[in-house]
Amino acid sequence: MLKFLARGTALAAMIAASSLAHAETLKMWGPEQITEPLVAQLWNGIKADFEKANPGVTVEFMPPTGTISNGAVQAAIQSDVGPDVILTNSGIGRISVVKNAKQVMPLTEQYEKRGWKDKIYPWLYTELKGQFGGEIYEVPDGLDALGIWYHKDLFAQAGWKIPATWAEFETLMKSIRDTGLQPIAIGPRTTGSAGHLFGNLMQSASGKDVVGKALRREIAWDDPSVAAGAIRLQKLVEAGYIKKEMAGLDLDGASRLWFNKRAAMFVAGPWFTANARKAGYDLANAGYAPMPSDIKGAAMPTGGVGWSWLVPVNSKQPELAMKWIDFMLSDAVMKKRAQDPASTMIYPREIPGLEPPTPVLKAIFATAAGGVGYNPSVYLPGTVLDTYFQVIQGLISGQIGGEDGMKQLQAKMAEAK
Amino acid sequence: MVSPETPGSKVMGPLSTTPAVAGHTGGKPARMSRPRTAGSIPADGDARTAFWLMAPALALYAVFTLLPIVATFWLSFNSSAGFNTSASFVGVGNYAKAAQDPIVWKSLVHTFIWLAYHVVMAGGLGLLLALAVSRLRITQVFFRTAFFLPHLVSLAVVGVIWANIYDPFFGLLNTALTRIGLGAFTQGWLSDPALVLFSVNVASSWQGFGLYMLLFIAGLQNIDRSLYDAAEVDGANALQKLIYVTLPGLREVMTFVVSLAMINGLKGFATVFVMTNGGPFYQSELITTYIYRLAFQSQDHGLAAVLCILLSLLAIVITIVFNRWRARLSR
Repeated sequence: MLKFLARGTALAAMIAASSLAHAETLKMWGPEQITEPLVAQLWNGIKADFEKANPGVTVEFMPPTGTISNGAVQAAIQSDVGPDVILTNSGIGRISVVKNAKQVMPLTEQYEKRGWKDKIYPWLYTELKGQFGGEIYEVPDGLDALGIWYHKDLFAQAGWKIPATWAEFETLMKSIRDTGLQPIAIGPRTTGSAGHLFGNLMQSASGKDVVGKALRREIAWDDPSVAAGAIRLQKLVEAGYIKKEMAGLDLDGASRLWFNKRAAMFVAGPWFTANARKAGYDLANAGYAPMPSDIKGAAMPTGGVGWSWLVPVNSKQPELAMKWIDFMLSDAVMKKRAQDPASTMIYPREIPGLEPPTPVLKAIFATAAGGVGYNPSVYLPGTVLDTYFQVIQGLISGQIGGEDGMKQLQAKMAEAK
Repeated sequence: MVSPETPGSKVMGPLSTTPAVAGHTGGKPARMSRPRTAGSIPADGDARTAFWLMAPALALYAVFTLLPIVATFWLSFNSSAGFNTSASFVGVGNYAKAAQDPIVWKSLVHTFIWLAYHVVMAGGLGLLLALAVSRLRITQVFFRTAFFLPHLVSLAVVGVIWANIYDPFFGLLNTALTRIGLGAFTQGWLSDPALVLFSVNVASSWQGFGLYMLLFIAGLQNIDRSLYDAAEVDGANALQKLIYVTLPGLREVMTFVVSLAMINGLKGFATVFVMTNGGPFYQSELITTYIYRLAFQSQDHGLAAVLCILLSLLAIVITIVFNRWRARLSR
């Protein structure tokens, strides 16, 4: 009996040891809203499918503690016990920070080897190839399209609508302010939120071509054609359409103002559906429109690559990380995500027959189909971003004028490599 | 580690309190030795034992304190974008860059203001509450505990709580002011450039005063009661007793508390990072938050290292100057 037990135990130990030898864990950083039940449900399903397709592999989610903008991603990578694959806010500005610090792997070869270049929009691949001398460090997961969110019921009751011209938009803001509501809520303590509104204002005041030229340094940031957006923000603050007190708000605080209908408009992207759901806001009541512009064709959302997959240079499972990205780019997973009620973004390639899960997402997708302008937060060099966000805070808190702010920004751009 | 004792053992064992006696050493000058006792350790053994006992602590100290200090100095003379990049020697380039960076100067000024606020608000409140609480008889333990509780809350959590209290539209503070008819006093506590550093420091000091209060209470308990009796006999009133008995009696504790508060003030980071991230427009930027921003956001490790050295020097100089000043006063 004892012999039998001993043999049984030894056999069990051998099986356990052999399965342990084959067991692999992929540590994944993200997604941001993983703690939200609906999002968690979607990602747990994806995780289960991946684990089923890759026996012996366990995917472990690491809830993100922040982004590249606040240094959390860099700190996680530097710890050397960080994630094997990362999903985070991206764009050339942010990616350049981790690329310059040699914290992420180049993935160019994988685009060819694994066919990733055919799994994203051709224009997106061309854009990525043009960023770091042909080397690519990210795989886009989602695109952003930032525009004005408004309450359909509030607008209908007051007879308001998002107009076509800037002058009419100012009139609208005056009407809103006169009712005691905040025309626009903004939470610039969260840097991204500051950039969302400012990018929209730049697009509206200068148009896509001018903003693009400024980002490529073909025009100075303090050139009047570029500084127009900053001056517009200064004037909105001076007119009381954006309260100075908002400089002390973060994204949550500003969102709260909008969800409680104390603010009429909010500049955000498709991801705001997750915030709205969390706040219990009825998404059917959310309307979406681009910021009005007097420049023909310039009334469009701003955006760019919003979220990307990155593989840290110290990933313990680089091959598995590539497999995971393969899996995420597959038709099955992309369609599953796009149709899921937890969906919060525009996907990096066209998904035929896709029916967005909420009316507001449908409106965003339709608006973005007409073109998307630049969100400078995504395209500015990493070393300039901090100044960019601080200048926006300075404009909202009334500490600096539009022209001076853009001069500071230009000085920083001139310093940046 | 205990070696056999030999005649003429050199030094005393670590726990021995017996005076050493002179012994014969064959014409050589007499060495200190001690009586042979069971379990005593010879000199070489002592040194070796001491070394091995200290080795783990020394190793940890070297790895986590000395090496980082050396690395910080090394980094400050190099241009480095991160631990995975090759650093290039730039001499005093980073120091020159720091001197020309207006945000460094701004954050330095803010750090001094922050430090002063912390000493006055956290230290001052700690002293006031210690004086009040120490007079209580039955409820002293309750209030001592209640006032100390905020100190147990993480600074990051404190930051989140106070950021909500300061929310200009939904926050407790502005709402309360409006409800009691003081709506004219509502402020953008975190957006007003003139207020933001003060507002954030209130949150930080709220978290810190409990510790200082306990230290002051301990100091108050050590003051000789007879001094108060004598003062009363001399007809001193409460204020005079405070000025001439209590405060002089707290001198040593006060020196300690002020030193501690100054060092804690210099280390201020978490509440600013959570509540304002240095904004708006650098109005609450401290040296510490700027170091974080440079090191982890901009990946400018060289400049960040220079500011780390500057911060350390500040802490050393401030502490030395303050203690010398106190020593001169007490002479």
